Amino acid sequence: MTNHDDFDLLLRDALRTEVSDASSSLVGLEERVVAQLEDREPRRGLLGWLRQMLAPTRSTRWAQAGMLVGTAAIFLTIGLLIPGGLSGGAHAPRLTLSPAMAARGEQEVLFVLPALNATHVAVVGDFNAWEEMPLADEDNDGIWTASLPLEPGRYEYAFVIDGKWWGQDPLADEYVRSYGQYSSVRYIGGGGDGV
Amino acid sequence: MYRNREEVSLLRASLEGETEAWGEIVSRYKDAVFGLCLGFLRNRADAEDIAQDAFIRAYNNLRRYKLEKKFSTWIFTIASNLCRNRLRYRKNHPVAEMPLHLSGGQDPAKVIATDDRHARVRDNLNRLPYGYRAPLVLRFYNDLSYREIADILSVPEGTVKTRIHRGKTMLKQLMEEGA
Repeated sequence: MTNHDDFDLLLRDALRTEVSDASSSLVGLEERVVAQLEDREPRRGLLGWLRQMLAPTRSTRWAQAGMLVGTAAIFLTIGLLIPGGLSGGAHAPRLTLSPAMAARGEQEVLFVLPALNATHVAVVGDFNAWEEMPLADEDNDGIWTASLPLEPGRYEYAFVIDGKWWGQDPLADEYVRSYGQYSSVRYIGGGGDGV
Repeated sequence: MYRNREEVSLLRASLEGETEAWGEIVSRYKDAVFGLCLGFLRNRADAEDIAQDAFIRAYNNLRRYKLEKKFSTWIFTIASNLCRNRLRYRKNHPVAEMPLHLSGGQDPAKVIATDDRHARVRDNLNRLPYGYRAPLVLRFYNDLSYREIADILSVPEGTVKTRIHRGKTMLKQLMEEGA
């Protein structure tokens, strides 16, 4: 370990042997991925969502429903009190649709999150390879917004509020939980539940 | 049937919904993606989960990938962002962790005796902040250029160089302190 090259080699070997020691984790990974892709739950429509909401077993569904209704009420109130409501206007970071984007069927989708005491809010999701895109709250009313042009499809996403994960957007079409972590889902275009 | 096909051809087939073609892509990249996740997360179970999740999400969003660009950069970007999200979650939901080099079902005494230096590198890597650990893993496990690392981590190339240099210096210091 007398010079950089020796240390580089040591570091390289240490990382490689670590993966090699854990190689049993990789056995059958491709089969598991393919099986999961072929076994995907078909997309739910509004009726499917209602059926699930009315299913008698899970109290959490009612909690979600309550949260949705509560949030809708908050947003309605804000919409009535603030001129321009939540349209975002000049405050929302937005990527304007070009004619080419419009031709591809892209829609401008608004992400909104009330986070009164937050200093930094971002959205991560399938649409940006899960890399943070900041939301803006230029008038300091605690309502953070961002607008993104998205092609029709299903998008999983979450908010990051001051470094903390917030996977349950009240305005999402549904939630998914993977590896102990909630994410939100929106269906864009094509007759989904949401936007 | 897919084994000898070119990567672009496999990706095109995957875009058309041929999941078996995607299986071949997974087969080709699973070591690199799992190694990245293991290096970033320092936790084997999490690395397994995130590697699988990265391949699922990449397939579901394959239409967003531009075929003329390097596929490895794209899949590594997804994996590294998922790792960062996972670390963020773990910060708020800590779990008791086994030392990584003892978690492979091997005799700890044997591991320490035969490869003590590697074990010390791994332990000390765990103590580095994520911002330094991630570029070191991409550079020394995934063999990526500074430019590629900069693209994946969304930081300037100069920052990557600085972090790799400083990360190695910190790692050496930690190892000397523990020697």
